[in-house]
Amino acid sequence: MLVLTRKITEGITIGPNIRVIVLEIKGGQVRLGIEAPHAVPVHRDEIYARILEENQQASRTDAVTLPPFMQLQDLVKKKA
Amino acid sequence: MIIHSTRFGDIDCPEEKIVKIPSGIIGFPLSTRYLVLDHDRDVPFKWLQSLDQEELAFVIVDPVWFKPDYRVTIALDEIMELGRVDERDLVLFVILTIPSDDPSRMTANLRGPVIVNAGTRMAKQLILRDEFPTRAPVLHEAPMLPAAAGHSISLVECHR
Repeated sequence: MLVLTRKITEGITIGPNIRVIVLEIKGGQVRLGIEAPHAVPVHRDEIYARILEENQQASRTDAVTLPPFMQLQDLVKKKA
Repeated sequence: MIIHSTRFGDIDCPEEKIVKIPSGIIGFPLSTRYLVLDHDRDVPFKWLQSLDQEELAFVIVDPVWFKPDYRVTIALDEIMELGRVDERDLVLFVILTIPSDDPSRMTANLRGPVIVNAGTRMAKQLILRDEFPTRAPVLHEAPMLPAAAGHSISLVECHR
């Protein structure tokens, strides 16, 4: 991993069109400003990790869970 | 072409029905080609079956079906990889997680919907900036009125 030391208002440039700037450092937290094209997805690590974990859970859905589904669908229809 | 699937056996799949997801469903980068499987009965759920990994499939649903107020805003730049976009061609799905021990506790991932460009048959899983839950209960939501797919999307030039 490349490690760089930066002060407030200083930044780093990644590739031709991505810039990360240190905006504020306070109580163990760092506020970063990120300039990147819209096509480049930028997310907090934990959000990406949550989606990934949820996808893994979802992929374990078994085909046999479908009959209860249809029952539920019928239930909804009756309610409506 | 015949595709193999662990859950459904061999399926005859016309090539023009293939949906390409170039960046993959997050966590599954090896699968970039999928098929949307309908059920023999009229249920709102469909399966998104991978052509590249036969054991990989997701249950998907039009979110409007159980959450009529679900709205997402998408920057056009974000879906550039889906090819030429006509707003009427965009369809949104969410992925369901269904616990095998109690299917009634199924949840929907509203934070990471899948957007399909029906015009080019290209799709992508989005990560929304809005604070939607990844595990929204499905059956505890208000009962459902079928609505036209694509309803829940608004496109903007820019939102970052």
